Amino acid sequence: MIKDKDKKDNITRLLDDEPVGMTVQVVRVMGDGAFRQRLLEMGFVRGAQVTVLKNAPLKDPVEYMILGSHISLRHSEAAQIEVTDKDAEFCDLEDAFNGIVETTVAAVDPMADNVLRVALIGNPNCGKTSLFNNVTGAKEKVGNYGGVTVDSKEGWFTIGGRKVQLVDLPGTYSLTEYSPEEMYVRTYIRDNHPDAILNIVDAGNLERNLYLTTQVMDMNIPLVVALNMWDELEKSGDKLDIEMMSRLLGARMVPVTAYNGHGVKEVLEATMEAIDESEQETRHHNVNYGTLIEDCLKELGAMCPELDRYTVLKIIENDQHAIQLLDGKENGEEVKKTAAEMRQRIERDFNDDIVSIVTDLKYGFVRGALAEALTPNPERATGETKPGYSLDRLLTNRWLALPMLLVLMWLMFEATFTLGAYPQEWIESGIGWIGEWIGKAMPEGILRDLIVDGIIGGVGGVLVFLPQILILFFFISLLEDSGYMARAAFIVDRIMHRVGLHGKSFIPYLIGFGCGVPAIMATRTLENRRDRLVTILTVPFMSCSARLPAYLLLVAAFFTANQGLILMSIYLIGILVAAITAIIMSKTFLKHDKTQFVMELPPYRKPTARNAVIHMWSKGKQYLQKMATVILAASIIVWALGYFPRHEGQTPQEQIENSYMGQMGKAIEPIVEPLGFNWQMGVSVLTGAAAKEIVVSTMGVLYTGEADADEESASLKEKLQTATKPNGEHVFNPIVAYSFMLFILLYFPCIAALAAIRREAGTKWMVFEIFYTTGVAWLISFIFYQIASAI
Amino acid sequence: MDIGTIIQTIVVLGIVAVALVYVLRRVINTTRGKGDCGCGCGKDCKHKKSAGKNF
Repeated sequence: MIKDKDKKDNITRLLDDEPVGMTVQVVRVMGDGAFRQRLLEMGFVRGAQVTVLKNAPLKDPVEYMILGSHISLRHSEAAQIEVTDKDAEFCDLEDAFNGIVETTVAAVDPMADNVLRVALIGNPNCGKTSLFNNVTGAKEKVGNYGGVTVDSKEGWFTIGGRKVQLVDLPGTYSLTEYSPEEMYVRTYIRDNHPDAILNIVDAGNLERNLYLTTQVMDMNIPLVVALNMWDELEKSGDKLDIEMMSRLLGARMVPVTAYNGHGVKEVLEATMEAIDESEQETRHHNVNYGTLIEDCLKELGAMCPELDRYTVLKIIENDQHAIQLLDGKENGEEVKKTAAEMRQRIERDFNDDIVSIVTDLKYGFVRGALAEALTPNPERATGETKPGYSLDRLLTNRWLALPMLLVLMWLMFEATFTLGAYPQEWIESGIGWIGEWIGKAMPEGILRDLIVDGIIGGVGGVLVFLPQILILFFFISLLEDSGYMARAAFIVDRIMHRVGLHGKSFIPYLIGFGCGVPAIMATRTLENRRDRLVTILTVPFMSCSARLPAYLLLVAAFFTANQGLILMSIYLIGILVAAITAIIMSKTFLKHDKTQFVMELPPYRKPTARNAVIHMWSKGKQYLQKMATVILAASIIVWALGYFPRHEGQTPQEQIENSYMGQMGKAIEPIVEPLGFNWQMGVSVLTGAAAKEIVVSTMGVLYTGEADADEESASLKEKLQTATKPNGEHVFNPIVAYSFMLFILLYFPCIAALAAIRREAGTKWMVFEIFYTTGVAWLISFIFYQIASAI
Repeated sequence: MDIGTIIQTIVVLGIVAVALVYVLRRVINTTRGKGDCGCGCGKDCKHKKSAGKNF
C-alpha cells in the first residue's frame, strides 16, 4: 500500500517555479477533470521524478522529462503540479507492487461471429500503424508524432491457414472517459469483443506504455504485448528480462521492430496461441490492487457478474460511462450505492481521491515489475536524456529554433521548385509531342478537338506537376518521420495559444497541407466542441496539395526570382488568415476558456527511405487516380462548354467567347474584374470548386482552345505569359498572378472538404464556411490587387 | 454534314454525357458522405482492404 512517509517534513513547491536543469519529485496534481487525468496517465504520479529541460523559444511551453519521455507543458499547466526535492523521502510506488491475481471467466468461442479479430492498441506514436502496415500490406499513413490515426482501420492477414482481421485503433494513453479517442477505443473493445488484443508498447518507454497494459489486462481478453522498437532499447544499453517481465505481468511479451518486420511473425504466432488457449483455459491475469480494493472488486463483481473486472473497477472509480451500464438493471441502484460506499472507504483508507489511488497503484505495479526485470544502462546518469534527443540542442534552441523552422520550410519549397523543374520539362515536352502527333495523325474534326484541346490540354496541364507533388510529399514525410513536426508544434505553441487555438489543432493543420478531408477528421482528437469548430473552420486555409499545381504554374510563369520564397509566402498567408480567423472566432461567437494541452515530444528517428517512398508514391497514385477520373471528366465538360454552340465563320477567340463557358464567364466577370481577373480566370475558380486541380485543367482547356495553330505545342505556362486582352495588354502580370493565387488559396473549400465539414460540424457551419472563405478570398485579393496596382 | 462528322459528333456527345453523369454522381456521393472522396482518405477509403500477408 502506498503511504506518505514523511510528508510533513517536505516543503512542496510548484513545478512551474523550478529552474531549467532541476530534477524534482511529484507530490500531487491539483485541479480535476480531463487535464488532471491526462497528467496522471502520462506519469505525473506521486514520487515520479521530473526534470525541467528547457523553455520553448517564445518562453512557453516548457519541456520536461518524465519516465524517460519528453513532455511539453505550458507554464499555467505546470503551475498545477506540486513537487518536492528529488531526494525527499516521500513515497515509494514500488511498494504498491502486489503482483498479479488470477480471475476465472466463461470461455469465449473465438469463431462465434465467424471472424477472428485482433485489435491493435497502444500509446500514441508507439508504432501501431507501422505494425499494421507490415502485417496487412496496407499503406496507412504513419508519422513520428501522436494522433495520426483517428479512426479504426481494418486489414487482414493469414497465419497457419487461418484468416485474421487486424484492427488498428487510435493511439491512447489510457481507457478512461476523458477524451474521444479513449472512448472510441474503449467502446470498440466493449462492442466488438476482439478475440485478442495485441498491445504495442514502446520498448524504450515501458513504464508509461505499460500503464495502458494494466487497464487492458483487466478486460479479460487474451492479451499479447509487442515490445516495439526493440532495436532502440538494445542500442540504449538497457536490458530487459522478457521472460521475467512476462511472468510478472501475466501476459506474453514478444520483441518486435515493426518498421523492418523483425519479430512480426513471432508476435502473430503468440497472439494465435493466446486465442487458442482461451478456448481451453478461462483464467486471466489481472493487476493485484491489494486486499482492500481486491475485496471490493470481488464483492461488487459478484453483484454484477456480467461485467468484466475493468468495468467493475471503473464503477468504483465513479466513471459515468461505466455507471450508465447499470441503468435498467434490477439491482442497478444497489450496485451504485455499494460502489459509492466502497469508494469512500478506499479514499478514507488511502487519504487520496480514487482516481489518483488507482493510477498510483497501476504505476506502482508497473514500476515494481520493471524494478525486477529491467536493468537500466549503468552509464546513463539520472535525469540524462535518452538517445534520440541530441538534435534538440539545435532545433529547439531558444535563438535558432524559429529561424531554422523558416529555413527548413523555405528549403522544402525551393527544392520542390528547382528539383521538380527538370522532370516537369520532360513530361511537358512528352505531352506536347503526344498532342502534336495526335493533331497531325487524326483528321480535323470534333473528336480531334476533344482529345487535343479537352483531354490533353486539361489533364496534361495538371499532370506536369506530378514531380513537384512527389518531391513536396517526400520532404513532408521526412519531417514527419524524423519527429521534427512535434518540435514545430512545440516552437509555435505559444502563438497557437495566443490566437485561441488548442495545441492539438496543430496536427489537423499539419495534415491540412496534404488534404483538408483527413485534417477535418483529425479534429476528432479535440475534446472541446468549440475548439473543434474553430479548428474545422480554419483548416481549409491551410493550403492543400490540390492547390499546388496552380501556384507552381503561376509562380513559374510570372516570377523569375525567389520562386521558393513566393510559394512559401502563399502558405504563410494561409496560416496567418487561419490565425486571424481563429482569434476573431474565439473572441466572439465561439468564445471559450483556454483548454490545456499536454504534448509528447518523441525522440528523433532516422526517417527510412522505404517509408518516404511509400508515402510519396501513395500521394502520387492518388494524384494520378484523380487525373484519370475527376480531372479527366471535368476537362471534358469544360471543353464541351467552351466548344458549343458552334457558329460558322468565327475566329477561335470569338468562338470561345460566345460559347456557354464564355457566356458564363462574362456573367461573373464584373465580380472578379476588381481582383484583376479576366473571365477565363473567373470560370477556372468556379469549376475549381469541385476539386482545386480543376483550376489549372480549366485554364489548360480554355487557353488551348483559344490558341492559334502555331501555338498549339506551346506549354500552358507560355500561353499564359503571352495571353492578351482585346486592347493588347497582357492578361497576366506578377500582381494579377499573386492576386489569383491568393484567391485560390482562400476561397471555397472543395466539395469533399465541405462534405467533411458537414459531417463533423453540421450543415449550418458548412454554409457559413462557403460564404466566409469566399468572402475572405475576395476581400484579400481585392485589397492586394488594388494596392499593388496603385503602387 | 457528312456521315463521318455525324458519327464523331455522336461519339463526342456520348463522352461528354458520360463525363457529366460521372462528375454529378461523384459530387452527389461526396456530399452525402458516400464513396471515395478522391483524395484517398474519404469515408470509404478504409474499406479498400488489402488481401494482407500470409505468415
